[in-house]
Amino acid sequence: MRDLLIVGAGPAGLSAAIEAAEQGLNVHVIDEFPRVGGRLLGQLHQEPNGEWWNGISESDKLYSRALTAGVDIQCETSVYDIEKREAGWHVHTSNGILKSKALLLATGASETPIPITGWTLPGVISIGAAQVMGNVYRVKPGQSCVIIGANVLSMAIANELRLCGVDVKEIIIPKSSLISKEAGHPISVLKSLMKLTHLAPNAMLRQLGKVGRFFPPALAAKCYPAVGIKMFGIPIKVKTAALEILGDKQVTGVRTTKVTASGTPIPGTEKTVEADVVCISGGLMPMAELASIVGCSFQYVTELGGHIPVHSEQMQTNIPHLYVAGNITGIESAKVAMAQGKVAGLTIAAEINNRSGKLDDLIDQAIHSVRKTRAEALIQFQPNIPKTREELYKYYERNQA
Amino acid sequence: MDEMNTIVCRCEEVTLKLIKDTIYRYRCSSREVKLRTRAAMGYCGGRTCRCVIDQITKGMNQETMKNDIQLSYRPPVRPVTFGALGGSVHDNES
Amino acid sequence: MTMRVEHHPVLGSLERKQPFTFYFNGEAYEAFEGDSIASAMLAAGVRTLRQHEMSGTSRGIYCNIGHCFECRVQLEDSKVVRACLTLVKEGMDIHSVAGYKKGGE
Repeated sequence: MRDLLIVGAGPAGLSAAIEAAEQGLNVHVIDEFPRVGGRLLGQLHQEPNGEWWNGISESDKLYSRALTAGVDIQCETSVYDIEKREAGWHVHTSNGILKSKALLLATGASETPIPITGWTLPGVISIGAAQVMGNVYRVKPGQSCVIIGANVLSMAIANELRLCGVDVKEIIIPKSSLISKEAGHPISVLKSLMKLTHLAPNAMLRQLGKVGRFFPPALAAKCYPAVGIKMFGIPIKVKTAALEILGDKQVTGVRTTKVTASGTPIPGTEKTVEADVVCISGGLMPMAELASIVGCSFQYVTELGGHIPVHSEQMQTNIPHLYVAGNITGIESAKVAMAQGKVAGLTIAAEINNRSGKLDDLIDQAIHSVRKTRAEALIQFQPNIPKTREELYKYYERNQA
Repeated sequence: MDEMNTIVCRCEEVTLKLIKDTIYRYRCSSREVKLRTRAAMGYCGGRTCRCVIDQITKGMNQETMKNDIQLSYRPPVRPVTFGALGGSVHDNES
Repeated sequence: MTMRVEHHPVLGSLERKQPFTFYFNGEAYEAFEGDSIASAMLAAGVRTLRQHEMSGTSRGIYCNIGHCFECRVQLEDSKVVRACLTLVKEGMDIHSVAGYKKGGE
């Protein structure tokens, strides 16, 4: 029996593994993907100081640190069930049953889809799929691309696809509907994009920020040019909506319409844009399924992306010896996930080795580092994250007491 | 093409129309929608569309999202063969 | 036109080894070490990996990280795997999962 089994070899899982192993625990990390790194792998963006954040080299660093610390890492291993036994956890995987005293779920996030007519055609993929294809496998998902969904994720990946040599024709929004909700509403889209204006390298967003300081989003949406504003040469058209994805055996394009500031289609403005790949960007939500089958309590927190397993700031859940870290606790950056992983690794080491108290200072420092990383985050996926986090931790305390 | 024919659940090819009609007719929860239409019950285990089904149900019933997960997860959360469940065969997703 | 990103302004150039051959529905294709079945098929310009079991409509990769199972394919030992999570190997014989409806590309 291992001391600690970690599900997910992304930024949170690997950081936790390194920390726990350095504290003397026997740690095993598993992941479904053939390579370690999780969502880090696809990431590639320029920081305000001009340096590139290269997710592949970040994950290589974590991987080699984990190996040095003596962590066992096993890829291509899927979990299909988890049982809690008297002696510890029995995790049923595609490579047999793995047993451990402590279990950390660092399963990250999945993408929220936006069903659109024609989205099952080959060549229609999620925005994250395009990112992994281009940056990790170094295969262009297509020669010319339309992205549906204007948000922080799609803007970052549009630029990554451009760097891979894909002609990103435009970023548009889904048609306003019960499914697309705010994503299909130009005013709401602009409102959320304006929050990103501190992203210094991003000229388009800076422009929006200037506009946003003087005008409320409704007015900005009204004045927003129908041809879009360009970012790295890619038009962001928040007043063009996808009506339907076209193609017979595979995707050939998107039928679009111009829409008003509130998302109502303008008759007579329908148009066909040709593309051999269409990416859907609906945002991310925490991957809660394993936490759910082991019986965690949940809170629905819009700002954090969905149902969150209730947890403490030390990364404990309401189930003894079950911990969470990274995007399963809410959608934030990979840097926050790494910082959280460190907290989880230390907390687990303290509990498994019965060293409670001895590691308190280190845990406090690690928690402080999470808060600092969060405050300095380049991309705030949603506003009010620190406040909603605080409320979640209080909820945990109340329910443990 | 009629927007109502948009497929929501890719695995079971359940349309928006069927989901909306079911909610309208039975005034039901997302769990009941799943059982009646097979949406979110297919190969992927609902990983792709469950949040959309929750969203549509919530919108039509004018509810707010609940803290409990409505479309519960049940093991196995990945498709496995009966052999693998019995412990004899590994790594098969069929 | 190649779909491979041989040169990348930030990630650098690929150091390619010798390609190897694998088979999809009886046709030979090329892949490189590190390719998943999904990336090798996409690089070869093949988008359709299976037909939907009931409707027969074409399907390919969607999420590329193992969540959606749309890219499932069958290996020679009749094992069904996700093309996006399975590394392709030399000589691998891959088939579309048999559906109820025949026909289509």
